[in-house]
Amino acid sequence: MWIFILRRLAVLALALLVVSFLVFLIPYLGDTDPVRALARARFGRLDLDADAIEALRIELGMHRPLLVQYLDWLGKAVTGDFGNSYMSREPVMGQVWSALKVSIVLTLAALGFAFAVAVPCGSIAALRQGSTFDSIVKSLNQAFVAVPEYWLAPMSILVFALYLGWLPSAGWRGPESVILPALALSLRPMGYFTQVMRASMIDVLNSPHIVAAHSRGLSIRRTLIAHGLRNALLPVITLFSVWMAGLLGGAVVIEVIFAVPGMGRLVYSAIVNGDLPVLQAGLVAIVTFAVLINTLTDLAYTLLNPVVRIDNAAA
Amino acid sequence: MPQLNTPISPDRVQGMRSRMGNVHMAWSFVIHLSRHNRTLLLASFVFATVIAMLLLTPWFAIHDPADMSLSGRFSPPSAEHWLGLDHLGRDVFSRLLHGGQFSVSITAITLVISAVVGTLLGAISARVGGAVDEFLMRIVDLVISFPDVLVALFLVAILGPGYGTLILALTLTGWTPFARMTRGLALEINSKDYVRAAEILGCSRTFIILYHVIPNVLRPLATIAFLRFGHKLITVGSLSFLGLGVQPPDTDWAAMLAEALPYLDRAPFLVLIPGLAIFITALSVTLIGQGLEAHMDEKMKWKHDKK
Repeated sequence: MWIFILRRLAVLALALLVVSFLVFLIPYLGDTDPVRALARARFGRLDLDADAIEALRIELGMHRPLLVQYLDWLGKAVTGDFGNSYMSREPVMGQVWSALKVSIVLTLAALGFAFAVAVPCGSIAALRQGSTFDSIVKSLNQAFVAVPEYWLAPMSILVFALYLGWLPSAGWRGPESVILPALALSLRPMGYFTQVMRASMIDVLNSPHIVAAHSRGLSIRRTLIAHGLRNALLPVITLFSVWMAGLLGGAVVIEVIFAVPGMGRLVYSAIVNGDLPVLQAGLVAIVTFAVLINTLTDLAYTLLNPVVRIDNAAA
Repeated sequence: MPQLNTPISPDRVQGMRSRMGNVHMAWSFVIHLSRHNRTLLLASFVFATVIAMLLLTPWFAIHDPADMSLSGRFSPPSAEHWLGLDHLGRDVFSRLLHGGQFSVSITAITLVISAVVGTLLGAISARVGGAVDEFLMRIVDLVISFPDVLVALFLVAILGPGYGTLILALTLTGWTPFARMTRGLALEINSKDYVRAAEILGCSRTFIILYHVIPNVLRPLATIAFLRFGHKLITVGSLSFLGLGVQPPDTDWAAMLAEALPYLDRAPFLVLIPGLAIFITALSVTLIGQGLEAHMDEKMKWKHDKK
């Protein structure tokens, strides 16, 4: 067990190290000189002479070997110092933290809603296989999974903001501005959650301990609540965490459409504006969270599920 | 992004292979499918229509997709312009077909490369085993934890926007389900007698992978490819939507949608149409995938019907 945990943590550390190196390399991989780009951002001029560029290069320490620069950058990054934004001239970490908070709220709202709909719908569909309800839920799921969010978002703005005027069309002010982006974001995970919930509930219903409980005279409802639901939820919770990791930085499109100041939009605008420190800090933050969530899920899953626990302990 | 990996046992694969052995059987299988699964039939018909229209674009799209007529901006649909004109007075129907070619072909190319890379890596992983297997599967775990839009953003930051970047980014994140499934199936196939026999005869690992493992996983892989197509189409679109994929003067469905977004209140039609195109295409392919998947399960039932 401990070996398993240690191995997962080692993989986590290794992954972060690789990613941080790649992120550090971004300015060196493109075809523009990073010093020139910085000079342009700082002075707003293109016609800098070569002496000024060289002076700036030495001032920034970019004449040193790459590895020395990386270790220097990594040392600062670990303490949360990614430098100042080229655009706002403020420390990057402040921006990243506030964006991260926004993204967490948005993601939890969207996935929470998806989860709240998917669990009862999936369970009932599993209990009544082949019923009208089951086939309606199935058709809706198939449709939900195929809806592009960049289409659903404008359509919902059109209906709820422009025609009906119930909700704000964009921005991030107060709880009512969370509703539309969260709704647009929740549809595809809802489809996947429901499918998985239904399948895993069917599995659980056919498993010997449920059949035994039922045949001892326990009512279907009691059986389900006491024994079924908890087991059937496990795969859905895994999927939830995968989506959580994915949406924290992956909700770029929705955040851009609704002008939500989250991680996705932060990284996107950093790319568009060539704001290197924001881009680097944003990518590192997103990847750290994604890998952390996945590792925690794996560990929790291992602790909760005896079968996996034995497998992993043996491995 | 997460994916649903559907385990399909090699026994079923074996059954599919023997069933599809000759043309007559194949035909009766198609007839059986169309009789028993109306959804699959309808979805195949819709998808075939979309593809046919995209292939026949030069005949359908009589107007140049880049031709502007500023006097006719936001014209409603007419006999001349079937879906009207956009904010620059360009023919929406023409742009829809030309754009669709990019959307669908980029998605298809990405999927094919992902499938080839994933299948090979999965087969190697299962066949070689040991440290290589462990290493490859850890990489799969790692790749799955990255949002694919983000990998694409990262690559765009380095390489700049364009088709190459788009395809590379989506392949980097797209090969994992193929690798996982191939590995799982290959592990089962590797324990079969005919693979043992090949080993005893002295066949090389490469030979066994190419002649025994890969042919056996083709059909379930096709199912996964269909199931993933919709997801990929939407992801390709989200990058084009952000202006990081297809570059003007070319266009694709999501780029059209993004261009029309500022005129949402004035001409919602221009946003509705390209989105609907993505939705219908993604839905029909997904339904085909699910239909194929269900029919692998219903093999026994089909045999019963034949008797």
